[in-house]
Amino acid sequence: MQDRPTAIELLEAAANFVDREIVPVTEGGRQFQSRVVANVMRIIAREMKLEEPHMREEITALCALLEKEKPHLHGRDELYAAALKLNDELSAKIRAGDVDSGELRERTLKVVRHAVENKLKIANPRYLEADLAAREKRRAGS
Amino acid sequence: MDPKEMIEKLSAFIRSEGRFKTVTIENLGRMPGGASREIWSFDATMERDGAATKRALVLRRDPGAHKIDTNRRQEFLVLRAAHDQGVPVPEVLWLGEDPAVLGAAFFIMEKVDGETIARRLLRDDIYAKAREVMPAQLAEILAGIHRIDFAKHKLDFLAKPGANAAETEVRRYEENFRKLALEPHPAFELAFRYLYERIPTTLRTTLVHGDYRIGNVIFGPDGVRSILDWELAHLGDPMEDLGWMCVRAWRFGADHNPVGGLGTREAFFTAYEKASGIKVDPETVKFWEVFGNLRWGIITISQARTYIDGLVPSVELASIGRRTAETELELLNLIEWGG
Repeated sequence: MQDRPTAIELLEAAANFVDREIVPVTEGGRQFQSRVVANVMRIIAREMKLEEPHMREEITALCALLEKEKPHLHGRDELYAAALKLNDELSAKIRAGDVDSGELRERTLKVVRHAVENKLKIANPRYLEADLAAREKRRAGS
Repeated sequence: MDPKEMIEKLSAFIRSEGRFKTVTIENLGRMPGGASREIWSFDATMERDGAATKRALVLRRDPGAHKIDTNRRQEFLVLRAAHDQGVPVPEVLWLGEDPAVLGAAFFIMEKVDGETIARRLLRDDIYAKAREVMPAQLAEILAGIHRIDFAKHKLDFLAKPGANAAETEVRRYEENFRKLALEPHPAFELAFRYLYERIPTTLRTTLVHGDYRIGNVIFGPDGVRSILDWELAHLGDPMEDLGWMCVRAWRFGADHNPVGGLGTREAFFTAYEKASGIKVDPETVKFWEVFGNLRWGIITISQARTYIDGLVPSVELASIGRRTAETELELLNLIEWGG
């Protein structure tokens, strides 16, 4: 086992350094790239926390949608391979026109939306929050 | 290429192209912006027949080979036609296609002063008036672009859209997507189904800018000064440019104003109709808006691939691969709720 700080704590320390010490003293393209670097490190930190639970959620939802028995999976690689295969199967069904209408289409949209929202919780949570807030506002207005 | 060598080669090129006796280049520097493009600015003092002129110029070229191909000659000729037609664009001067000169094809144009960072346009106080006048200006300029007589200006080399411009474009980007995507994207599959079920009739074929958005505009406090980045120009349905203007990524969070964070669809369409005499069908533009979001999503995959495949070692390009999900969410919103 490794000692503290954890990998996530190390990444946060590095991202904070870039934000506080590099971004203010650079300009133009280099400043922009520095912001990108800090952002990338924060994506990795969120992914380390959330990737596994997200993949488990996605596999459960896709198995239910595609009427498949949920496999017992161990470790990141198995989860990733299963999620990839299930998404390939769903993609093929959509492409074949099997989910163009009806209840299956509604369920598909729900499952796909949830998976996309989970991606954004890692890649860009602020974008997701803004989207949810706008949706809430529209709902209240209409 | 080190700056000294670049200056030498560049001044020799301008000397021979412009038949100058001497050319002196100063202040050569890379301009920020553009993950997939290089823009250099410099001052050139050019002497001929004992008279010297000094001009602020810009050099445009692409580093390495990119996934979505672009073509310098094409961009040069389209810019020249747009300039002749009175569209506000930088005047293009010389095209250099010999890779021996600067490694990749390039062209040189006049430098137009102003701002290009869209976030500043949407945020800074000095652009308050620009924000007010730009939606109508952009609609009028777009009408001017769509009026360019592409046969007269010998732009026939641009790819023709076939019987239906919409279907041609969707198929083209689907091919790109199938070639480039490393993972399945069910949200994009849903978007393709949605689009194929709603292919609009092509009512007219015009020059299409292909990348018409506020990030490709030079502006000042007074509004639009110049329209940039013509590398994706093609022949097609003019409604494609209107839909692309409404793509969510160009709003920078100002989603209450769907047209580049600046205004409403309705006002933009009305101004375009007035300037062009072309009737705008909102459903057709909605088709192109959905297509635009999907296209931007596929471009994010393409840009990430240039990093993944080892073509350009840029952290910015790499991180754009994680922006694909943003377009997936917007596509689901459009498909389910119309926006």
